[in-house]
Amino acid sequence: MRVAHAALLLLVLAAGCARGQRDVQVPEPANVAAQSGTPQPLPAATPAPSAQPTAPRPARETAPPIAKKPATAPALDLNSLEAQLRETKAIGVFTKITLKNQVDDLLDKFREYYQGKAKFTMADLRRAYDLLMMKVLSLLQDEDQKLASAIVSSREAIWSLLADPIKFATFQG
Amino acid sequence: MNTVTVALARLLLVAAVFAMPSFAADDEEALKKDLTAVIALHGQPCGEVVAVKVLAQDDYAATCKDKNKYHVYLNAEGRVIVEKQK
Repeated sequence: MRVAHAALLLLVLAAGCARGQRDVQVPEPANVAAQSGTPQPLPAATPAPSAQPTAPRPARETAPPIAKKPATAPALDLNSLEAQLRETKAIGVFTKITLKNQVDDLLDKFREYYQGKAKFTMADLRRAYDLLMMKVLSLLQDEDQKLASAIVSSREAIWSLLADPIKFATFQG
Repeated sequence: MNTVTVALARLLLVAAVFAMPSFAADDEEALKKDLTAVIALHGQPCGEVVAVKVLAQDDYAATCKDKNKYHVYLNAEGRVIVEKQK
């Protein structure tokens, strides 16, 4: 009888151990899922000149359409994002190193561009930046939605750092 | 009391033996997933890594579901290199 009890307990324990970390909760996808298609400007982004909604409005047409609610970019905390990226378990070590390699390559391209040595345009750099962001987000969105959302929110703020030669030089330190 | 302690100790020992391969399997799955992502980030066809052989520290031979094989390693400059094998 005691042996049977022990065996049962053992099976329960073994089953518990075998489960490991497979029970990853995947919350309701936020706006990250929308990123998997074509890159779109984010709400926090600096609005493009043609970004005003053109859909008909029911009332108050006389009110001035702009400057009602100035778009404020979220505070960009690069150090926090970097720390979270380092610590996230959603991306493996080799993948993190590969991503860092690709970030370094992109920063080199910006440097080259600002030194006037580049054959590519700022639009090419934006495309490369968007692609890299998509890679990061696709790696994160299933297992670390919080960080993926933080990155989505900071996406335009990071781009504004890169796309401005003065800010870029300051950022490079 | 003594027999209970001995039984418990045996139980823990056997549980540990059962648990260790499970952790190792989890590690291997994580490594396969990591290498799958690395190969994809390098734009190489793979689908999914199904087998990994550790050649050295930070040096792996990966076999993909689509039968492609890659040598994935970290070079001296800190870059992850993916080389297709024949």
